[in-house]
Amino acid sequence: MTPKLWFSISFLGGLAVLAIIIPFMPWDPNAINPQAMPQPPSWRHWFGTDDLGRDIFLRSLYGARISLMVGFVSVGISLLIGVTIGLLSGFIGGVVDAIIMRLLDVLMALPTLFLILMVQVTLEPSIFNVMVVIGVTSWMGMARLVRAEVLSIKERVFVTACRSRGLPEKTVLFKHILPHTLNPVIVAAMLGMGGAILVESVLSFLGLGVQPPHASWGNMLENSLGFLRDAPWMALIPGILITLTVLSLNFLGDGLWLLLDPKAKENHVSHS
Amino acid sequence: MSPIIYRILTAIPLIFGVSFLSFLIMHIAPGDPTLMYMDPTVSQNDLEQVRKNLGLDQPLLIQYVLWLKQLLQGNLGYSYVTGKPVVQAILERLPATLLLSITSLIMILLITFPLGLLCGYKKDTWVDDSITIISFLGLSIPTFWLGLMFILFFSLQLDWFPTSGFLDPMLLDASWVQKALNILSHMMLPLLTIIIGGVAGLIRYNRFSMIKILAQDYIASARARGLTERRILFKHALKNALLPIITILGLDLPSLISGSFIIEYIFSWPGMGQLGVQAVFQRDYPILMATIFFSSILIILGNLLADVSYAYADPRISRPSNGDAS
Repeated sequence: MTPKLWFSISFLGGLAVLAIIIPFMPWDPNAINPQAMPQPPSWRHWFGTDDLGRDIFLRSLYGARISLMVGFVSVGISLLIGVTIGLLSGFIGGVVDAIIMRLLDVLMALPTLFLILMVQVTLEPSIFNVMVVIGVTSWMGMARLVRAEVLSIKERVFVTACRSRGLPEKTVLFKHILPHTLNPVIVAAMLGMGGAILVESVLSFLGLGVQPPHASWGNMLENSLGFLRDAPWMALIPGILITLTVLSLNFLGDGLWLLLDPKAKENHVSHS
Repeated sequence: MSPIIYRILTAIPLIFGVSFLSFLIMHIAPGDPTLMYMDPTVSQNDLEQVRKNLGLDQPLLIQYVLWLKQLLQGNLGYSYVTGKPVVQAILERLPATLLLSITSLIMILLITFPLGLLCGYKKDTWVDDSITIISFLGLSIPTFWLGLMFILFFSLQLDWFPTSGFLDPMLLDASWVQKALNILSHMMLPLLTIIIGGVAGLIRYNRFSMIKILAQDYIASARARGLTERRILFKHALKNALLPIITILGLDLPSLISGSFIIEYIFSWPGMGQLGVQAVFQRDYPILMATIFFSSILIILGNLLADVSYAYADPRISRPSNGDAS
């Protein structure tokens, strides 16, 4: 356990606990307070208040709920698609694999952010759509990673042993090959969560993600635009929170990789 | 077959794929080109006739072929909002985008290369650790927020650079030196933002490739021959460390281009990205589709350039075995 891992786990853990318990508290994140329009951080309002006198600390924790949820759900979706396609492509091989890989090349050449923006502006921008769209547009890297793993694993002796024992192909693939691909997948999932949180913040910042009055870090930033000069804390705090969250996830991915993969020590490089 | 020709040939189906997807996006998006004739005096019958003339009643694949033919003649349709030809709108925006992205790409290379190699050479020392942590930080900061913070600090507080724009309208008749300086001062903040985002990832790769190279036999043999560290580093290691960077740069291109689009929007930099984000808000699908198409082409060409120069620089590279072109 390195200091980086300690930092990440305690930050993410603390944030997650606060984000989970906050709705059970009697405070309303959307409560407007005309007496406290925008106030700098103080003992009463730890992160200050925004233009409507709403407490930024409280809103940040509600924003954390959104960000963490987007991270989990969209990475879940991209795992489901990416791992399935990667497994099948690598395992079947041949023409199927070649076709899938060329399709991936095409998809990876598209500027995903614009696709996401386009879907969001065509459909109703909602938190549900944000998660689905990010998940559906971010599985390609995962598929490539899993496929590469499968290609090398299926040449190993234990796979031949499974086959010679007459196990059905399905069992070989899901019971024996799949577990061996999990380590890099876990690492990529951590980095993917960071990426998803960043995309959500861009979307909400552009007004195409979580809609006000519901708080998300992105729309808090959007809201801060008119007050950059007079209330800079409104812009500073959500940005620092996004940075720390994504940083923790990146540290976690990197640290887990070192822990899970004994060969990683000498080839220390990020997967992103 | 020569690897370079092979690479170029593999890019062709990619371009077709991207063009088909762009066409599909346009097809699925609400509205069609007849929106231009949204005039109550035009009768339903006439609209049908216009649709027929445009080939919109044909099967999907035939429509695609028609669209492709138009594309080859340089016609990508007309903006729903301004009525201007889409290609013209894109071409007007291309120079600003290229200026910003090429400058930032060069700067990123100039910064990351020495720093990454330094990290690799000083592996596991405080120099390495601090640069690594800073580069992790750069990877994690939302770039659009960083841009805002730069505006807040450098423009609003210190008043060093303008907050946004490209060229001061007061300077339209000024000499080209004044114009260039003015554009440069407008470019500083977006450039800085893109560089910080781009540098972070690349440093890690450079570090990794340096570590790998320093572990090679020929470095050990150079050491054994008693060459100075300086000579080993600059004569032997440097040349080989350059190679992997080219590939990584190609792989990083999509995120670099997508990332700079948001930056263009934040700083009102009149490039393709700003055009695209505006098109999103105006639901101007032809412009949006063209932005997606053109940036995909930029990404494919960038990758191709990286592949070709890699194949050119490293004689060991031959045609990849089936399907594993990554």
